[in-house]
Amino acid sequence: MESKTVIDIENISKIYEMGTQQVFALRDVSLKIGENEYVALMGPSGSGKSTLMNILGCLDTPTDGKYLFKDENVKEMTDNDLAEIRNREIGFVFQTFNLLPRANAVKNVELPLVYSGMSPSKREELAEQTLINVGLGDRMDHKPNELSGGQRQRVAIARALVTNPAIILADEPTGNLDTKTGDEIMILFNKLWQNGNTIILVTHEEEVAMHAKRIIRMRDGLIESDTENPHFKVK
Amino acid sequence: MKILFEIFENLKMSFESIIASPLRSFLASLGVMVGISIVILMGWLLDGLDNSFQKTFEIIGADMIYVDKWDWTGGKSWKLLRNRKNLTLEQALKLKENHTSAERVIPNFNQWGGTVQFEKETIEGISVVGAPSENQHTPAGDLIEGRYYTEFEDNQAEQVLVIGYNVYKALFPNGKAVGEIVKMNNRKYEIIGVVRKRGTFMFDFIDNQVFIPINNFIKVYGNKSRSVNIGVKAGSKEKLDEVRTETIGLMRTIRNVKPEAENDFSINETKVFEESIAKIRSIIWLAGIGLTMLSFVVGIIGIMNIMFVSVTERTKEIGIRKSMGAKKRSIWSQFLFESSALTFGGALISIVVCSGLIYVARIAVIKFFPDISEVVEYFPPYLSLQLVIIASSVSIVLGIFAGLIPAIRASNLDPVNALRAD
Repeated sequence: MESKTVIDIENISKIYEMGTQQVFALRDVSLKIGENEYVALMGPSGSGKSTLMNILGCLDTPTDGKYLFKDENVKEMTDNDLAEIRNREIGFVFQTFNLLPRANAVKNVELPLVYSGMSPSKREELAEQTLINVGLGDRMDHKPNELSGGQRQRVAIARALVTNPAIILADEPTGNLDTKTGDEIMILFNKLWQNGNTIILVTHEEEVAMHAKRIIRMRDGLIESDTENPHFKVK
Repeated sequence: MKILFEIFENLKMSFESIIASPLRSFLASLGVMVGISIVILMGWLLDGLDNSFQKTFEIIGADMIYVDKWDWTGGKSWKLLRNRKNLTLEQALKLKENHTSAERVIPNFNQWGGTVQFEKETIEGISVVGAPSENQHTPAGDLIEGRYYTEFEDNQAEQVLVIGYNVYKALFPNGKAVGEIVKMNNRKYEIIGVVRKRGTFMFDFIDNQVFIPINNFIKVYGNKSRSVNIGVKAGSKEKLDEVRTETIGLMRTIRNVKPEAENDFSINETKVFEESIAKIRSIIWLAGIGLTMLSFVVGIIGIMNIMFVSVTERTKEIGIRKSMGAKKRSIWSQFLFESSALTFGGALISIVVCSGLIYVARIAVIKFFPDISEVVEYFPPYLSLQLVIIASSVSIVLGIFAGLIPAIRASNLDPVNALRAD
């Protein structure tokens, strides 16, 4: 069964200018990710996985190569077009949560909806529903500093989900959590995948990557291997 | 609709950000507050001055010109004026006889430095004006008590007196002056009328005038070696030009001025004051604008500085917002809203503070300077709507100015780098 392609990159390179030196963060990387895949992007630091994630997330553009996101050419997009893709199609989950400290859980989850121009009442309704879905129905009015790490990450996940994006990009989502809480978050991702979401997990930890269905290993700006995870379990 | 939601969101965010650190916001907008306050107070001061000048025109009569040996403008040398031949009563009467466009021609004599005495009270520095009964049709004929003398009384050179408001206040603090006998320059006069207060703080002397029949004046003070002052009433401001032209022509004929020679008399009118008022206005403006500009520059730097700090502090937040799909426009408008809200808030504080200052100033003047307390009438007790609108819009423009560079810097931040910031 071939699912619909969401991400299609071909021969992507990213070069950083460091003084007079050119540093290749990515070299000729090609990759396809289809709808409702659960992919782990794995590699040690400096392997180019973060650069790749930023490009996949439309936070950054490649120096060379082709990137089609849902058949649209990202390389030719303006800053505004990229912002719209990030807003509509991509849900970010960060290692450090990146919540707005002064806003409560609902307001944080509402944030992407603000930029899609939804009315305040609809925004609130949707944000509250999403918070209930990630198990935070009783923490809506809490500010980030009143929540535990796991709860904060759930808020961040709710924020990523609320626009119903094409992919969820999670960058070391368990990196700042203890093992037990981290496992709970990974179970949540598994559920999201079962609900039909496409998930890309970026991590340097083998154990975390083992939660994904497909594992892409990177090294020195190249894809080293791209395999199905034999140990994958539906939870 | 989308844009409305975004504007609303920006307003909310800027408000939240300002009240999150109220002291910092207050200090940052202090410079702007000072500048706005100067604008407000200057505008208020000019309003008051305009009002009192307006009042002054009414005293002198906006529809009157005065033919005189002396000149109000001060543009001519004193020597030249002194050497002019006196204007005589005969010339004035000829002018009156031949004038076709003027409503009235009213000659009058002046004697400075008089004294009026009633029982134990004395007032000095009085200007005695000898004028025909027709003078009651000029602004000096507006009485609060009694009546003007009649033509008959004038012809009889009666010892009757119409007193100015300062004289009335000084000699009759308890009111009721009409019918009393006073001694003026050691002659007894019966008071028959009191003129309404006309002077402002600028033309206070005008209420030191007293009026007696011109024939009495001639009898008592004589008209030899005295120049008459001729008031010519046009009847309306529109007729002034016509009346002025005819007056000059007639006076030149009456005084035998050669065709090529300059007038040997002056035409005095309120226009002269309008010109000097324009000068005073522009001096106040220039001084005010200088101060205002200075404080605005300081104010803009203050706001700009705090906005740069704000952008730096919130680099991570900007990164988060961008990764959630905020466009450049959303980011810069957020910071512009914030800087404008700072200056607009400053303007609101300035408006409140200045209103308080005005209120206190008016009370203080009445309490500590009762002599000039009537000044207060000309200075409004509240700020005009126009001033409030000017102050508010200027403040928003300043905010946009101050926030522009920081806002653009914020919107141009690279999302990847911004997210990495602490």
